[in-house]
Amino acid sequence: MSRENDGFVFHHDLLGRFLDVVYRVVNFFVRWDRLQMLLGAVNLSVFRDRLRAHNLHHTGYGIPTSGGWAAGDERWRSADGSFNSLDHPRMGMAGARFGRNFPLPECVPDSDDALLDPSPRVISRELLARRTFIPATTLNLLAAAWIQFETHNWFSHGVPGPGNEFKIPLQPNDDWPEPVDGCMQIRRTVKDETPRETWLGATPTFQNLNSHWWDAGQIYGSDHKRQMQIRSGADGKIEVGDDGMLPADPERPGADLTGFNDNWWVGLSLLHNLFAREHNVICEALKVRYPAWNDEELFQRARLITAALIAKIHTVEWTPGILAHPALDFAMHANWSGIPFRVVQAVLGKNSEAAYGIIGSSADQHSAPYAMTEEFTAVYRLHPLVPDEMNVRQLGAAGQERCELVNMQGRSSREFMEKHGFSNLLYSFGTAHPGAIRLYNYPNFLRQFRKDGQPLLDMAALDIMRDRERGVPRYNRFRELVGKGRVTTFEEITSIPGAADKMREIYKGDVDRVDLLVGLLAEDLPDGFGFSDTAFRIFILMASRRLKSDRFFTDDYRAEVYTEFGLDWIRNNGLKSVLLRHVPQLGPALEGVNNGFAPWNVL
Amino acid sequence: MAFTITIPGIVRIVIVKTPDEVVAINDAGVVGRSLSGRGGLVNGSIAAKLAVFRTPDGDIWPAFRDRLDPLRAAHQAALETALSDVEPLLRRIAPEIAELGGYVRGGTAPRSTGIIVQQATGRLFFDDYTANEASYDAARTLQTWSSAGPLRAFWIRRSGALQASLDRIMDLSRGNMACAHATALAMANILRSIELMRELARQGDNLAKIAPQEALVQTLRAPERVVREARDGGRVGQVRLCARSVVVLAVESARRQRSDPGFAFFAGAWNQCPAHSIVPALLADVWRAARTETRERT
Repeated sequence: MSRENDGFVFHHDLLGRFLDVVYRVVNFFVRWDRLQMLLGAVNLSVFRDRLRAHNLHHTGYGIPTSGGWAAGDERWRSADGSFNSLDHPRMGMAGARFGRNFPLPECVPDSDDALLDPSPRVISRELLARRTFIPATTLNLLAAAWIQFETHNWFSHGVPGPGNEFKIPLQPNDDWPEPVDGCMQIRRTVKDETPRETWLGATPTFQNLNSHWWDAGQIYGSDHKRQMQIRSGADGKIEVGDDGMLPADPERPGADLTGFNDNWWVGLSLLHNLFAREHNVICEALKVRYPAWNDEELFQRARLITAALIAKIHTVEWTPGILAHPALDFAMHANWSGIPFRVVQAVLGKNSEAAYGIIGSSADQHSAPYAMTEEFTAVYRLHPLVPDEMNVRQLGAAGQERCELVNMQGRSSREFMEKHGFSNLLYSFGTAHPGAIRLYNYPNFLRQFRKDGQPLLDMAALDIMRDRERGVPRYNRFRELVGKGRVTTFEEITSIPGAADKMREIYKGDVDRVDLLVGLLAEDLPDGFGFSDTAFRIFILMASRRLKSDRFFTDDYRAEVYTEFGLDWIRNNGLKSVLLRHVPQLGPALEGVNNGFAPWNVL
Repeated sequence: MAFTITIPGIVRIVIVKTPDEVVAINDAGVVGRSLSGRGGLVNGSIAAKLAVFRTPDGDIWPAFRDRLDPLRAAHQAALETALSDVEPLLRRIAPEIAELGGYVRGGTAPRSTGIIVQQATGRLFFDDYTANEASYDAARTLQTWSSAGPLRAFWIRRSGALQASLDRIMDLSRGNMACAHATALAMANILRSIELMRELARQGDNLAKIAPQEALVQTLRAPERVVREARDGGRVGQVRLCARSVVVLAVESARRQRSDPGFAFFAGAWNQCPAHSIVPALLADVWRAARTETRERT
């Protein structure tokens, strides 16, 4: 392994090597998702090991020092994510660069002309625009809000400023309302101005303004100043108003005062309020058990517990909810708590993450320092989950009101929340479906979207441009690099009626030019899957990595850090219990619902 | 007309020999200098060979940097500037030019011509650069490594000769990667030109009759081949490229079809060799030195 990866090396074990060979043969004949459940789950762990060995690439930290050590950093999460790794304190901290899932020479953007080809606006109009809403009927709308809630924890490229915009020529029949010299303009991603290491080559780098860790930074912020703004200063609690809701952010009209509130809408407000309440309940419970603890100690311990609970919900509820495949369901539970077979546990031993789960195992960065990656952000472009409209219901009352999502976001968010109420909106989200993550299902309001301080945006075109400018490989090469092999025809990608022909026309017959987002949305899905198998390969790697790299989910997942109470709290709770604790009126709607992200009962 | 060999799992290679195709492919965005090693066993082996041309810190030798690499452009511009002031540089290497002139004239040099060429090349970067048998052996090892078959390559690596040669070249180049590239690999083209000059001079009264510029045109040699990879498939001019093909640009073969000496240096292209002025001037001076000494003797 080159020094580019800061000396980190993946170590294969003997069993892993053997299984790798076996599954290469098996997969030659049978896809992983068509195997029997246990065989399929083992197949996923083989994929993960391959990806851990070959698909983690360091781009440099991008920050010279980790900042100062603060008392308590050894036993709780620092505000900016520094000192999570005590050996590599800069790793994963706010401001550190995004890493890569592919060798750096594969992550080089096209030169200028090719970068705009084919026009992202044409793709937006002809392949992505929603024609009629395609619902994801196995999920409720909280699943859509949840993933944005989570991505706000993991990454932010910052808000791009004006200057040097991409100029996308518009077709004569395009009705884009704010053309500039016949073009649609898209601002470039905020530039990384830190000194570049010489070995980076032509690969562009970008900084993640949020902490990379799974530390609930969306609630607690990624710097000390923000953290102090959201705290009440008493008993470790987060500041809430008299009505029990988060206060308004004076600097961002319409948004709640919380750790990270970009792209604010009602869905985020629901989850932020829910988990702020959860944090405060945990503080109260801790104070009863540890009356001598001060505000700081209570806050930090409650943060640890809340962050772990959120990670657990994501691992064992959200992921199997959106990727409803038995092998994956088994594998995600195994990731968290191990396999339920005592004999196999005994054979594999105490140190086996497969036997006992990643939680509580030893931290391991595998082949590169921990960082979120550009490819990870690319596969999390899940905007089709968002509907253009939804029915807002009232608990205990019949009838529903049809509301447009565009009126539930930005400056309108708090007003909408106040009008309809926290409980009613949770109930409404629980009983509404998100959109399916498919072609022709990109929300139209986001294709002509006004955001404060930004020019009019076509988010669909912007999603395409972001992958291109950041050097994320296009779909076919992306497939190859995650170990799936290239396709040679458009028909191999998709069976959506008419899509292959339309893609062929737009990409002038060149299947290698298909954009990643288009390929991911077009791809035929394994049974039960809510998004593509190609995107899933990155998830296999990164979902485990977020846990396995983090000291607080591995070496320090212990009572001395979390308290026995905290470990019990995490073990015994899930989304449903959190919802029922804070909004008990939802009981009938959640009765018989096993996964909080599945559709709830309409009362 | 490009020549394509595809044996699934073994090799995926395209050999390009005509000047227009070489220029078009060199300019194509889909073709890059970085080799992934994908496409077959042979592709992997070629990539592994070129992957060694890095510094111990992982820094990439300039000639292997990709088109969009900002450091490539910076290195290239800096070197171009440093090598563009030809006269002082030629004065600096006048002793080596005189030695080479003597060799071209038919004399016997007290040391290998390769050593002289390597020293002359090195002194373009450092005026006290001193080549010797060991440094030239190191350069030859690296040149052999680049074109060796699998068994020979295995032995060169296994015996430690590869690493020792890289270390020696980097030490002598004081970490200057452009100097390392010039004194290890690029010098081979100058050496071939010198050998051709000697052959040319041997025939009749060519040495007196042929002017330095004409001798230069007749003996200037480009790299035999330059290796690239097509990351994705596509068509570049008339050449159809499959994804992950190794693309071999037969530059010398193409150059012979063009009278323009600049072709050997990719003149005007994004990867124009920064030595495009100094090398022709050096060769012309060697021919001039050979003639001068002949005149002095007669």
